[in-house]
Amino acid sequence: MKLAKIMKTMFAVVALLTVYSTPLLAEDFLGLPVVPGSEVVDRAETHLDMKTAMSHDEVVDFYNEVLKDFKDIKALDRDDNTQITDHSNLKWHSITVSKEKLEGKTTVVIKKDSWSWIFGTLILRYIGVFAVIMMLFICMSITGAVISRSINRLEAKKAAAGSGTQEQEMVAVALAAAKDSERRKS
Amino acid sequence: MSIYDILDTLWGIVDTTGIPTFGWKYLVMWVVGGGFMYLAIAKKYEPLLLLPIGFGIFIVNFPLVPLMGHSHGHDQLLQIFYHYGLEWEVIPCVIFLGLGAMTDFGPLIANPKALLIGAGAQLGVFITFTGTVIAGFTLKEAASVSIIGGADGPTTVYLTQHLAPQLLGPNALAAYSYMAMVPLLQPPIIRLLTTKKERLIKMRQLRPVSQTEKIFFPIVAVTIIALLVPSVIPLLGMFMFGNLMKESGVVERLTGTAEGALMNIVTIFLGLSVGATMHAEKFLTWKPLLIFGLGLVDFAVCTVGGILTAKIMNFFIKTKINPIIGAAGVSAVPMAARVCQTEGQKYDPSNNLLMHALGPNLAGVIGSAAAAGMFISMFD
Repeated sequence: MKLAKIMKTMFAVVALLTVYSTPLLAEDFLGLPVVPGSEVVDRAETHLDMKTAMSHDEVVDFYNEVLKDFKDIKALDRDDNTQITDHSNLKWHSITVSKEKLEGKTTVVIKKDSWSWIFGTLILRYIGVFAVIMMLFICMSITGAVISRSINRLEAKKAAAGSGTQEQEMVAVALAAAKDSERRKS
Repeated sequence: MSIYDILDTLWGIVDTTGIPTFGWKYLVMWVVGGGFMYLAIAKKYEPLLLLPIGFGIFIVNFPLVPLMGHSHGHDQLLQIFYHYGLEWEVIPCVIFLGLGAMTDFGPLIANPKALLIGAGAQLGVFITFTGTVIAGFTLKEAASVSIIGGADGPTTVYLTQHLAPQLLGPNALAAYSYMAMVPLLQPPIIRLLTTKKERLIKMRQLRPVSQTEKIFFPIVAVTIIALLVPSVIPLLGMFMFGNLMKESGVVERLTGTAEGALMNIVTIFLGLSVGATMHAEKFLTWKPLLIFGLGLVDFAVCTVGGILTAKIMNFFIKTKINPIIGAAGVSAVPMAARVCQTEGQKYDPSNNLLMHALGPNLAGVIGSAAAAGMFISMFD
């Protein structure tokens, strides 16, 4: 009976140790698993650089499988790499998987979620709003100037046609041009 | 029939009523819905929207009402409005069509500098984004909450539906509430940020704008916006098309329908659908309350952004702008422009700022849509 009790206790302790040590044994970075069999090139608090013999597609498939249950994950396919970005509140911000192999290996970089990225993108986008508005402003000013000039000329021509001589017509057009330039100055 | 059968039948009848499952949360939502109906009826704050929204909140907050669910394999009444109107992003675009048909861009065309105020007023949108992320929202949710400050209902609905549909009810409600409260919220900020001398600035009368310029404006605007922020073309494309119909003067019947009957129909569907998303179980959590708080800060910072932009512009231009009109850089057309007029006349009754304020006001519509486009491109 005693032996059975000891055996039971030992089994419980071993089971608990197994359960709680598993996450510690599985290598990860900010909650993301490291590519199996990869070589860590640089590991800091903000980023993890690694190299792997797996191809670009295999690495992307690996992370797609890992992240399949997460919402707000966006994958961006670029010319030289694929960037998987998190738009929720996870600890990591992006995984960049290179397409070209360096020394026969694919480079994978995981970056920590950072305020610098959020501030950077917000400032750029705020400037972007100004850029859109400035383009509209410039186009409106040009269109406005062209249209009002042509309207003034037309009106001047009509007025001159009413009065008769070519000389008077030239004077009317010159007056219209002066009026237009005054308007633009104001 | 035995006594047990009678009791059983009676219990069956009682069970199909809402009484056994009625709870305090429904009562709270009645108060919320009632509050909006009160603001609309008694205070006349944005009654066209707050009345249907308030009634929508009220009517869905009864147990067992078949309005926002599915039964017998099809959607229930308000769910149909919500699904086809909002989930399909139809209603905000049709509202913009009607708004375009009502809008005169003359003040903006006469003074294109006003566009910069509209862009400056988006400051709050980007600042609130940061605050919303700190408060624990996801980036998509943060974008949808921060657009509230732009005080543009259809843009808020469009962006929220696109990025965070789960927040549609509180976001739309916050946006329309703050739009309705522009006359209460903006004057203290205007007084705080401007000196008496600045408030007395009289602006030169705007030049007359030819019909040809007004016809060209929507075409030029669509070209620029479609090239630079294509994601908001469903909204601004409809807005400009409505305006082109109006200014061309050749489709009066269509213009009349867009600004009248069509606009009224979609406003009813919009109000009811938005109100119907506010079920007690979803609304009575920390998020909607936080959204109302953040929305208020957002709206205030957007007003500040508009006024400061006008003040900064005054350093560089010869003919000074009255910085009061900066407050109109948030959309809320034409309410924000009217507030500027009233504020200006408090200090000089002969100072007419209405037409000058309409420029930044319309620029705010374009600016907030551009900001929404920037957010959509961030996530799509």
